[in-house]
Amino acid sequence: MSNFEQKQTPELTVVVIAYNNELYVEEALESLYHQTLKDIEVVVVNDCSKDRTGEIIEEYIADKPNFRVVHLETNSGGCNVPRNTGILHSDSKYVMFLDGDDWYTSNACEVMLNAAKRTGSDIVAGQVIRTNNYETWYKNQIYSRERTNINVREFPELIFDSLSVNKIYKREFLDRNNLRFQEGLHYEDVLFTGQAYFLANSISIIPVPIYYWRVVENAKVKSITNQRQDIKNFINRINSHRFLDKFMIDNGDAIYLSHKNNKFFRHDLRLYVNDYLDVDEDYKAQFHQLIQEYLHENINKYEFIKLAEDLRIICYLLYLGDQAAFEDYIHYLHDLPTKELRITHNGDFYYFKSDMVPKEDQKFLKVTNPKFEIGIDDLQLSENNLKFNSNVDLKSFEDKEVVLYQWELRNKSLKHSIFGKNKDGRIEFDLHNLLPGNYYFYLTINFLGKAKEVLVKYDMLNKMEYIKVESNKYSISTFVNEKNMIGIKNRPHSELTDIYWKTRKRLRKFRSKRNKNKKNNGLLTRAVKKLLYKLPVKKNWVLFESQMGKQYSDNPKYIYEELKNSNKNYKYIWSCENVNEFPVEGNVTKVKRGSLKHYYYMTRSKYWVDNQGISHLAPKKKEQIYLQTWHGTPLKKMGADKDNATPAEMKKLQSQTKNWNYFISPNPYSTKIFKKAFKYTGNVLETGYPRNDLLVQQPEQIKKKVKNHFNIPEGKKVILYAPTFRDWNENSYFDTLRDINKLSKEINDDTIVLLRLHYLLASKISQIQLPGHIINASSYSDIQELYLITDILITDYSSVMFDYAVLKRPIIFYCYDLDEYLYYRGMYFDLKEDAPGPICTNLEEVLQFIRQPEQLDAYKNKLEQFSKTYCGIEDGQASKRVIEQVFK
Amino acid sequence: MQKKNIVFVLNEYNGHGGAQRVASILANDFVADGHNVKILSINEQQNQPSYFNDQVEVNVLHEDGYRAPMEKALFPHLKSFKFKVVSKELKRRRQLIKSRLKVEKFFDQFGDEMVYVIVIQVWGMQWLENLMYRKNIKIIGQSHESFAAAYNSHRFKRILKYYKQTAKFLLLTEKDATKFESLGFTNVGVLHNPTTYRKKQDAKKLWENKTFISVGRLIEDKGNDLLIEAFNKVKDQLPGWKLEIYGDGPDHKNLKLLIDIYNLHDRVFLKGRTENALEVYERASILLLGSKAEGLPMTLIEAQSCSLPCISTDCAPGIKEIINEYETGLLATVGDADQFSRHMVRLAKDFNKYEAYSKNAYIESQKFERNYIKQQWYALFDEVGVEHE
Repeated sequence: MSNFEQKQTPELTVVVIAYNNELYVEEALESLYHQTLKDIEVVVVNDCSKDRTGEIIEEYIADKPNFRVVHLETNSGGCNVPRNTGILHSDSKYVMFLDGDDWYTSNACEVMLNAAKRTGSDIVAGQVIRTNNYETWYKNQIYSRERTNINVREFPELIFDSLSVNKIYKREFLDRNNLRFQEGLHYEDVLFTGQAYFLANSISIIPVPIYYWRVVENAKVKSITNQRQDIKNFINRINSHRFLDKFMIDNGDAIYLSHKNNKFFRHDLRLYVNDYLDVDEDYKAQFHQLIQEYLHENINKYEFIKLAEDLRIICYLLYLGDQAAFEDYIHYLHDLPTKELRITHNGDFYYFKSDMVPKEDQKFLKVTNPKFEIGIDDLQLSENNLKFNSNVDLKSFEDKEVVLYQWELRNKSLKHSIFGKNKDGRIEFDLHNLLPGNYYFYLTINFLGKAKEVLVKYDMLNKMEYIKVESNKYSISTFVNEKNMIGIKNRPHSELTDIYWKTRKRLRKFRSKRNKNKKNNGLLTRAVKKLLYKLPVKKNWVLFESQMGKQYSDNPKYIYEELKNSNKNYKYIWSCENVNEFPVEGNVTKVKRGSLKHYYYMTRSKYWVDNQGISHLAPKKKEQIYLQTWHGTPLKKMGADKDNATPAEMKKLQSQTKNWNYFISPNPYSTKIFKKAFKYTGNVLETGYPRNDLLVQQPEQIKKKVKNHFNIPEGKKVILYAPTFRDWNENSYFDTLRDINKLSKEINDDTIVLLRLHYLLASKISQIQLPGHIINASSYSDIQELYLITDILITDYSSVMFDYAVLKRPIIFYCYDLDEYLYYRGMYFDLKEDAPGPICTNLEEVLQFIRQPEQLDAYKNKLEQFSKTYCGIEDGQASKRVIEQVFK
Repeated sequence: MQKKNIVFVLNEYNGHGGAQRVASILANDFVADGHNVKILSINEQQNQPSYFNDQVEVNVLHEDGYRAPMEKALFPHLKSFKFKVVSKELKRRRQLIKSRLKVEKFFDQFGDEMVYVIVIQVWGMQWLENLMYRKNIKIIGQSHESFAAAYNSHRFKRILKYYKQTAKFLLLTEKDATKFESLGFTNVGVLHNPTTYRKKQDAKKLWENKTFISVGRLIEDKGNDLLIEAFNKVKDQLPGWKLEIYGDGPDHKNLKLLIDIYNLHDRVFLKGRTENALEVYERASILLLGSKAEGLPMTLIEAQSCSLPCISTDCAPGIKEIINEYETGLLATVGDADQFSRHMVRLAKDFNKYEAYSKNAYIESQKFERNYIKQQWYALFDEVGVEHE
């Protein structure tokens, strides 16, 4: 019995395959002979090698009874037949594979067999080490720790390891599933391993290196799987994946295809794309055809979305079959010139351009950070200034005119910046106020009002110049730091000064840390507010606010002015966002909105006059009077009328409306809507709008003031273009700019266009240089004053039409997206039916009316009717009526 | 050729590592060509001879024996009341400023003449900071180790800080250069080290020496323990063969212990440092290198230049630039004594293989020949000097 046991075959067979491996095969066999596990069977299959491989094997195994060799009579041309032959010639419980040019670690067999027996898994996988860099293969994702008895369906990342040689297989598992290497197919591992994963009930992973993969660099003969320059190679790989796709679908595992595809994109495809620049045209043409076909078979294009940006664009362009764009993109990635200018934009995002891409698919080609080329040449440094020639280029960018640049030298620790001035391409920095410390170069690239900051790095420049200058107090020099940032260094000669500034820097850091920990409403602030709240209300204090403190405008302004002129004994307080730049006149206290001071005045003023909502900033007391003036005749649906009003929104609205004592309405139409939309039951003052008093009175000195402000000569025709804010479309701003450019070209010299954008866009537009005939009036505080000098108004869905109609001057409606607007924002009023002017759907129609203004006369009756309905009450006395009723 | 001013900056001119050896070969050759060569050594070892010949003027920066410690942050130590550290750091800073001025003064002697400064180790750069702004001074920085070795050391931060701003930054292999390029360096170049010895020897004679040798400092990283382990595994397969380990250093006693444990007194010998390496190469058969990290090891270059085949661990990209696998020598995985020992047998047992490798080694090592390397240096001087004129 014991005799019989000794003769029993070993538990593990290692199948070694060799083809022309005379240099290495001995080492492979040695690594098996010297295994710590001695009881193994080795079957070497020599695939009809032409060199000495066969001899060497015979020689080596001559005195080793557990080694056997099978010589194939004809060369099989791959690994499949030899490996299958090896399996056929063994009957042990477990099988492992070794290629004739690789080798095992000395305990590989022991570790793997133990793991297989311990876990009972069908497959156990160990780590592979590549000998060109000694890095382990997918070490971090898959082999980070031991995983016992998992299934590929719970851990699909496993697919990334598609090697067959680093694993031990249960023979019974292979036989039960009839799993063998498919003959006649290269890239057998992709298919075999893929099938094995999905057939196995349980797989284990051990984080132990077991297999050395010899990577021969600059080899004269590359192994079969490494000849990527031959298109057959690519066909083979695609075919392997096709077989695997089919297998997975037939096996009911189609839902895991996306994981397999992900590996295909990130690993297999990437390899070929990396070689793309080195292959000939013929190869390229075939490559594109093959990959496009394959990408349309079992792959959904939305699988590209989750890939890294470059791979997403690569995959999509291949999917699209746009070879020219693909080639350009590869060039773009390698910093080579592209045949066409490929980086485009839609005002908010950059895209890689392909002529074949359907609009809805543009997202696949989105480029987050377009590449820049930054050049600093001929750098001069003196005590007082720094000059250089700047050459900034967005690579392959088609619309260079819209990009503005701002150079900056920034001392981060002292929060001090010096801005460069551009003088004909030469950037000059004034260094008079340079503080001691390090300043680094930053470049802000201003693209259509969207600023993007670039930290200028050493390797972006062609050449860096090192200069040092000494003044009597400081030495200033250019330098590069260890993080590749370039900058200038300012070192005081005196050590005392140095210490002073270093201490300052420290203190600053310390303070900013401390401030970070402090919340806006600290315990102290809350306590103070509680105390302030107890102070009595001052009967003659009036607090004003308009558009959340952003403007001095609208009804609060006109009520304030009327009140001021009435010489009553009131103290006036204006709440504003920016105290220093708030243009209010007269004896008035300005407070910053949201500050403690603001709270003090809110809680003590008897009157609040506001046009949006402020009651959340301080609790209102019973004796306080809140006059809500609102900011326009309602056009779009609001409050409770909004289709998608949420309970939270309604609650918020209610918390405001319940505090209102008076509400001003401009006309009976509005009164109805306000009451319903705001669910407001308080006093409504249907007095007309105080702000429209100006439009009735039309004082000459205001007209003059506005014209002077914008330098508009007498006699010029003024068109006011005031489009609404399309909050559902981020790109609308860009559409407006495009129209403005066109307008500028089409109108004649005796016409001026005032551009009035929503105040949220005012800062954006102020950074843009506008074309001729166009003046930016977005930052002008009071739009009412602009109406006075306007001859024609161009607007769309804005309530400005209701105010402007007081003047009974012509209005053109430019509603290129009327349907879209109606969809996003319902309207109370049928614009198509009741508009007091022509509705144009494109700019050409608008221009028609501007060129021939007499055509607008046809709308005179409509305008009269409109004015009567919506401005019937306006007689220039609205402010007086409001004051009479509120300030008793 | 026009007479050039060439200054070498070293940590210790009379140390006995590969760096000093390389610098001395170059310096002695430059002097022989009639150039004005000076050494600026940061420190010196006491009563030790140097590789440099007498015509090379040596200047020591810290003659008083002061050794600059590592930089320390001031503020955190101040906060935790570690005044000793603070005062030491303040002293270091004062000394640095003083020494920098001394260095500036040293370079004043050249006036406006062009000076090529070859910085052998990055440590010395901290005293040269002010020289970067002088137009007549061209600094060529060198790193004598692989990227990986530098990356895992305190030198790495200094390399990033200083070597970006030098006229040239020289690495020993293309692979290392590429790695630094990807970190934003735009001034990298590759220059091999020259070999001191070059002697064609008869393979048969060498083989009959039946001697494995290892040459280098005895420190843990050099992996001499691996060599003893490997030799022990195959000692019975290689009767008559012995292993001789040349060099001294802190690892000496560990190695001695290992020899005791395996009882290899009659097979493995710790021979101490040798003054005459050529003699050693004449008495050897195969050179072994068991290192864990390297740059472009001089000992491999020298051995091959003397017709010795080598077996080495594949511990740096530089190894494959010296050894052509299966043509001039054999490579093993770092730390794998089994594989290493099998390679020893493979080469020691097969004279045909040995002879072929020996011949190839001599031919392949031509690219490290000192004259050839010297010409590359002159070309480099021309390249970085061009702007000045």
